Order: sequence, then C-alpha cells, then structure tokens
Amino acid sequence: MPVFKTPFNGYAVRFSPFYENRILVATAQNFGILGNGRLHILDLNPSGGISELRSFDTADGVYDCAWSESHDSLAVAAVADGSLKLWDAALPPSANPIRSLKEHAREVHAVDWNPVRRDSFISASWDDSLKLWTLDRPTSIRTFREHAYCVYSAAWSPRHADVFASASGDCTARVWDVRDPSSSLVIPAHDHEILSCDWNKYDDCFLATASVDKTVRVWDVRASRAPVATLAGHGYAVRRIKFSPHHENLLLSCSYDMTVCVWDYRAEDALLARYDHHTEFAVGVDMSVLVEGLLASTGWDELVYVWQHGTDPRAMP
Amino acid sequence: MSNRAFTEVSGATPPPKPWERAGSSSGPAPFKPPSPGSTSDIVEASGTAKPGEVVSNTGNTTANNSVIARSLPTRPWDQNYGNSYGGYGSNMNYNTGYGSSMYGGSYGGLGGSYGGGLYGNSMYNRGGYGGFNGGSSMYGGMYNSNFGGPMGGYGMGGPYGNQDPNNPYGPTSSPPGFWMSFLRVMQGVVNFFGRISILIDQNTQAFHMFMSALLQLFDRSGMLYGELARFVLRLLGIRTKPKKLAQAGAGQLPGAEGPEQRLLEGPKAASGHSWDSVWGAADAPKGFS
Repeated sequence: MPVFKTPFNGYAVRFSPFYENRILVATAQNFGILGNGRLHILDLNPSGGISELRSFDTADGVYDCAWSESHDSLAVAAVADGSLKLWDAALPPSANPIRSLKEHAREVHAVDWNPVRRDSFISASWDDSLKLWTLDRPTSIRTFREHAYCVYSAAWSPRHADVFASASGDCTARVWDVRDPSSSLVIPAHDHEILSCDWNKYDDCFLATASVDKTVRVWDVRASRAPVATLAGHGYAVRRIKFSPHHENLLLSCSYDMTVCVWDYRAEDALLARYDHHTEFAVGVDMSVLVEGLLASTGWDELVYVWQHGTDPRAMP
Repeated sequence: MSNRAFTEVSGATPPPKPWERAGSSSGPAPFKPPSPGSTSDIVEASGTAKPGEVVSNTGNTTANNSVIARSLPTRPWDQNYGNSYGGYGSNMNYNTGYGSSMYGGSYGGLGGSYGGGLYGNSMYNRGGYGGFNGGSSMYGGMYNSNFGGPMGGYGMGGPYGNQDPNNPYGPTSSPPGFWMSFLRVMQGVVNFFGRISILIDQNTQAFHMFMSALLQLFDRSGMLYGELARFVLRLLGIRTKPKKLAQAGAGQLPGAEGPEQRLLEGPKAASGHSWDSVWGAADAPKGFS
C-alpha cells in the first residue's frame, strides 16, 4: 500500500472529511525538539501512490493538525511556537497562512475541529490551558484553565456540539461544556501522564484515554469511578487513540513501541491486530471517515503509510 | 487575511458521518442539550467568554482541583516568570543578615525557613513554603556553601508571603519589569562565567598536581635504579668510587665504568655536570658577585 516520505519527522495525520483520498500530515524537524515544521496535504492516487498536493512551511515544528469541517480546503495546524495557523489549500502560497493565532504561551500540542457545529475548534497547549476559537472572531473566545500540567490532547464530542474532552499530564482527563465556567467531569484516569483521548462515535457516553502507563482505558462518563475496559498490550507509552467512525467497539492506537494496534474493547481478546511497519516511534494515526477500514499512520521514521485494515502496510501495490 | 468569507458556517458541508445515521445506543448522555446558534454566540450568551485571554506560563489558579491530592512540584524547566519576583527585590540586600529593617518590625529572621543549601540552587525556584510566623521571611540562598553563594534561591519575601504561586487567595503578581529581567539575565551571565572560570581553575590545578607527581616519580625511580645498580655492581666485585669519580673526571677510570657511574650518580654528585647544580652553578656567581 502507498507510502510517502516526508522530509521531517511525522507528528500527526488526518483524513479529510470531504475527500476520501486526501490526507493532512503534520511534521517537525529534528524530532520536534528544534527546527522547522511542515504541513503536507497529500492525495492518494488511484494508481496506488501518494502525491503531494500542497505543503506549507512553518518556522517551528507542527505537532498536530485538523481539517476544517466547514470548508473543504481549510486546515489548522498546532505549531510549537504557541500559535495556531490556518491554511487554505485553494489560495496561492503568498496568501497563506490566512490566520496566525498566537495566544498560547507554550507549545500547542493538539487541535480538534468541532464536527457537529463545524464553526469552532479547540486547542490544547503545554501552558496548561485549552482555548476555544471560531472563524468569526480574531481572538480566542474562551480559555479553559484547570489542568495542573501540560494538556496533551483535546477531542470534541461527535454528537454534542458543546462538549469536548481533554487529556493532560496531571493524570486527569476532563470533560467540558463550553457554556459552563468549569469542567463538567474530572476523571483521574491513570497513574501516569495521559497523552490522548477520544470519544466513542456511536455512544457519546464513552471516552477512551491513552497514557504513559502503556494502557488504553475506556470510561463511561455517567459512572467514571472505574474504567469500562483496560487495554494492555503496548510496550511503551500509548501516544494516540482513535475510535473507529464505522464500528462502535473498534479502537486504533499508536505507541512509542513503534506499533499501531487495533482493539475491540468489548471483546474478550481485545487486541485484534498489531502493525509493526514503523521503524521509529509511531505518533500519528487516523481512520478514514469516508472509506471503511482505511487507516493512516505516521511516525518519527518520516514515513506516512495508508493501508486497508487487514493488509500489510508495507506491501507495495 | 484573505477576502474569503469564513464567517458563514455554511461554506460547505462534509458528507454525513457514519455515526450520524445511527442512534445512540446506551441511553442519553448526562449533558445539557446543545444550544442552537453559533459557538461564539453561545459562549458569549453563557457569560463565560473571555476573548483573547493571553495565557502566561505561571502557576495554575485552579478552582476545581479537588481530584489532585497534591499540587505537582515545579519542573526544573518551568521558569515561572512573574510570580517569584516579589521576593527577589527583598533578597537584594542579602548581607544585612537577620531581622533587617525591611520586614517592618516583624521578627522575620527568627522564623524564616532557609532556602539555602540544597534547595537554593534553582531546582525549586518557587521558593520555600511555610515558615513559622506567617511566612513573612524566607531567606533564600544566603547560606550556600562554596562558590554558589549569592545565586541561591529567591526567597519569598514580602510582608505576607502572598507571592506563593500555590496560594489561591493571594493576588496574582504582575510580570517583571525590564530591569528585573535584565538583572536576572546579567546574573545568569555572571553565574555562567563564574562556573567556567571555576572549571578552568580546577582543571589547571589538577593538571599541575598530576605533572609534579609524575616528575617526582621519575626522580625517585631514577634514584632507586642507581642504588640497585650500585648494589649489583658491588656484588659483582667491581668497586665504585662515587666520591672520587666526580672529582677525578671521565678519563681516569676503565672503559665501561666511567660513563655509567657518572650517569647513575649524576643527581647525587655535586659536580658541574649534575642536574642539581645546573641552575645553581649559573646563578651562584651572579648572585654573590
């Protein structure tokens, strides 16, 4: 299946919600510690290769990216200098970035676009805060400050326009309502830092968290005392977790043990598949909303893989 | 900024999500129903909007932190500009000792907890906590050993000790002024060069001691060799006349003995050829004449 070589170390990958063959890849030079970054817009060719449609350079590493849900060519990048940059692939390079929103004091580590109301996005930063942005305002609308350490991830509820979750290095995950002054729910989910969280797409009461303690846990927001499931199997910290858009019980995770795993959290034998195609830390992973079973991953080995679930990512067409 | 209008939400709609066709499977979620309208309007209507709030990288004025039993310690890379400077100014005259007048008559010096020693050195740069009388005095870093002296911690001075970043009741302090940051930078520079010079000094000293020890070793081993050789030669029955040799000179003695003996006994012999008197021979006439 297709492979694309990026010049920098991969950090995040996202399938477009508009085009089934288009992906967005965030990369950062020198493993994201120091140097430039680049945002790639890639197209999967019908012949089986991946070609680059556009790329945007930034002065600092790009840690995360998200497609706009309201405009098919618009994407937002979370940059390590604390800014969020909006890029429009339909405009010439001179007009890009169309916005640069700098309010965070430290690196922005995650960004997520509201899939329900589609007019706003949330950013999570190492300055311990989250910020809510909309396209019709030049500044952020709200700042959410409760976490006691870096916020590593944020995810909008797929069914509720006002609810999102955040995962932080203070070992808690929090659920927020944008209308409430403080968080709705605090889940002390792991004993170590939590790196990622995501909502179940079919049941908006379930939330998954991925942590440095090598496990993925699934939580019910109505009864958050104990996890619904604990998925162990990764050898190192789990970096990113995604619920499948097509199957209620399916989860996709990637980890610093260089593998990408597919899980069924309700099954007895939860680990369905393990892909070890990366030769460095696997840090970015996504599942296509439009094509069932199409997976994408990227990692610090500077490669982007797109493959169908069940096939070998390294197999050439 | 482009001329394209991003303000209207209905620019385009992506294909419906797969999960939007299915209903939620396990009952209603415990959230308030979503409000109609745009996100910015909803947030502004809820009264929680704070547009453009710039986040400084200081401590967390958290309201709902009950889950975390203890606050996390400051990370070493956490510079937390802007909250530990209250004490910095009061720490400037660190030579005044206990109970100086700056504490407004409170017995500050008596109850202070010391930020010196191990903790004064920048790891815990949020200063000390506590102290007996209301935290009114924290002498940071005055009692450091060695060279580290004045670069110790920044005590949490001030009459009420409110600059403690973990104190939720205190007022938030303003960011440091230009001179404060400038002085801090200068302190860092001086500190840096101080460390460099200490490093060089220690290295030079170590090298010197190593070299002198090595030379001494050579010296001693040469003498040992000389003594052993003399002993062996005596066993072989060859008489040596070390004292006479020096006076007699080279030509007098039979072949092998002469130069060897002279070399072996060189350091000891008080002749003009020995190393001991190389400088003495040259200097003595100058010095005494």
